[in-house]
Amino acid sequence: MEMIRTGNLKKSYMPGKVEVKALNGVDTSIEHGEFVAIMGPSGGGKSTFLNLVGMLDTPTSGEIYIDGSDVTKMNSNTRAEYRLKHIGFVFQFFNLFNELTAVENVMFPMMLNKQSGYKYRAKELLNLVGLGDRLHHLPSELSGGQQQRVTIARSLANDPKMLLADEPTGNLDTKSSIEIIELFRKLNQERGQTIVMVTHSPEIGGMADRIIHFRDGIIENL
Amino acid sequence: MPVDLRCALFYSRKDIFKNKKIFAFITLSIIFATANIIVINGLTDGMIKDLVDNTIESSSGHLNIYPADNERFIEGLGVKEQRLAALEEVEAYSPRLSASGVLSNKELSASVAILALDPDKERRTTKLLDKITKGMALNSNDNNAILVSYRLAEDLKLDVGDEAELAFENGKSKVYNVKGIIRTGAADFDSSTVIMPLNEANQQLAFDNSASVILIKLSDKELADAYMPVIMQVLGVSNVKTWKEETEYLLSFAEAWQSFSSIISAVGLVAAAISVGIIIYINVIHKTRQIGIMKAIGAKDDFIFTVFLMEAVLFGVIGVSIGDGVGYFAVKYLEAHPFPEPMLGSMAPRFYMYLLYDASLVTMLTVILAAVYPAFIAGRMNIIKAIWGD
Ligand SMILES: Nc1ncnc2c1ncn2[C@@H]1O[C@H](COP(=O)(O)OP(=O)(O)OP(=O)(O)O)[C@@H](O)[C@H]1O
Ligand SMILES: [Mg+2]
Repeated sequence: MEMIRTGNLKKSYMPGKVEVKALNGVDTSIEHGEFVAIMGPSGGGKSTFLNLVGMLDTPTSGEIYIDGSDVTKMNSNTRAEYRLKHIGFVFQFFNLFNELTAVENVMFPMMLNKQSGYKYRAKELLNLVGLGDRLHHLPSELSGGQQQRVTIARSLANDPKMLLADEPTGNLDTKSSIEIIELFRKLNQERGQTIVMVTHSPEIGGMADRIIHFRDGIIENL
Repeated sequence: MPVDLRCALFYSRKDIFKNKKIFAFITLSIIFATANIIVINGLTDGMIKDLVDNTIESSSGHLNIYPADNERFIEGLGVKEQRLAALEEVEAYSPRLSASGVLSNKELSASVAILALDPDKERRTTKLLDKITKGMALNSNDNNAILVSYRLAEDLKLDVGDEAELAFENGKSKVYNVKGIIRTGAADFDSSTVIMPLNEANQQLAFDNSASVILIKLSDKELADAYMPVIMQVLGVSNVKTWKEETEYLLSFAEAWQSFSSIISAVGLVAAAISVGIIIYINVIHKTRQIGIMKAIGAKDDFIFTVFLMEAVLFGVIGVSIGDGVGYFAVKYLEAHPFPEPMLGSMAPRFYMYLLYDASLVTMLTVILAAVYPAFIAGRMNIIKAIWGD
């Protein structure tokens, strides 16, 4: 079954007088439980695609179906609620709330979702990403790789349908990067977590089930 | 779905305590604004209340009868006193005679206002004679004794037991014994008044049982308005004033002071509002990316707005509570240690519970209002711009 389907998806920006076509008709489909890497040259539209699918932004035209429902018609509050319950995000850096400890960062989306037992579950998730011994550390007291693992734990807090990661290892050394990707692999295999990840690294992209190439706002068939 | 206040509070609390110095700075400015309002208003209200109370206690009855227009004295005092005594709501009355003179002690002398009264009647009507700070009160038949107001006594270096010569406006003069020193708190009274028995004054001035005012005490001062026509009719007098009319001139004074104290309060409030507003605004700008992340995670605009408004509420609650305490103790301290003031003798605030309510409410509202704009900016932030910068 399809988790994500887009039809003729377009997104233009008007930063100045000239229109920039960041996405220019993207038709794609990603299945439940797939681990997909998105690759391609800089400016190709990878982040734009992820932001639209993640409901952080609205398309200029085209269709987006998430788990069967048309999300382009939703208002901003409904989209926020949908993101809270069904989508996990990992960005390249500075994902965490500085003033909250690791466990508080992971608790936060569950508190926002009025879920009970959040403290216990936050600890569980941090154990899952291998940070059971760093619960009460502030982000500034964690390494870049550890911070990304806390972010991943937080993105899983409300048991999302899909996890979207935009260059999650972009700021990490090779060893930490491999650890993060292995964590993704594990989540994908053991929990059937759908993951869409943007990366510039062929090595990391190669660990995904499938690679989608973006160039000049369209999917490139290699 | 309404905003989850518990979650907003969780984040706000963590955020405001993060930087101890900024927290202390903001809290201090709120404490100052709150305490400032309490002390300034306590001082103003205390002063005005003292003034009105003093005036009513020592120089006015609930109703005052004055001579008819163009007359210096009230006609037929004896008959009027009899009629007053017969009126049910009249608890007491005291005729007074005002005159002028010169009081001398050796080479020192000063012009004085002579206030002649019947000590027994006066005592039943006002508290004037309770205000003797040294020596004793007068008796009706004290033909050789006077009371001297404290500033006058200071000026003429007079003390209880001293003798002083009083020259009347008709040229007569007589040496009197200073039996007591009196201090009312009313500036002009305290500076130059001599009190003497009514009989003695009438005799020296060669008047025939005259009075220039009759002070009336009613069973309840709130009856003054209703009872005024009765007095007018029964006594056949036309010039009667209520205690409210007598203290009306103080109201403009009170208003001037109140607007002055409002300005001082407003300055403190504006300072607090600006610091809270700026700190929260800077915090919002500084946190742009985190606000973007929070929204990406699923926080709605209202939630973000609430988080930053809540920060102001927290600053407010902490600052105002401490400010209430500081203000309370400052007022209590000044109540016990009045500071000198040339006009009134001394100036002291008075503590009223409403001072705390007013100051808390007004400061809290100001602080919250100051945060509305930055909180609104935070709530309205565009996710994409917030996360990727612009
Ligand atoms: N907010 C924006 N305003 C104007 N133009 C934008 C905006 N966001 C993206 N673009 C433009 O859209 C195009 C696609 O950008 P996008 O960020 O999706 O590329 P990308 O594939 O993620 O690149 P990178 O690998 O460098 O992250 C680029 O030409 C970019 O300049
Ligand atoms: Mg990108």
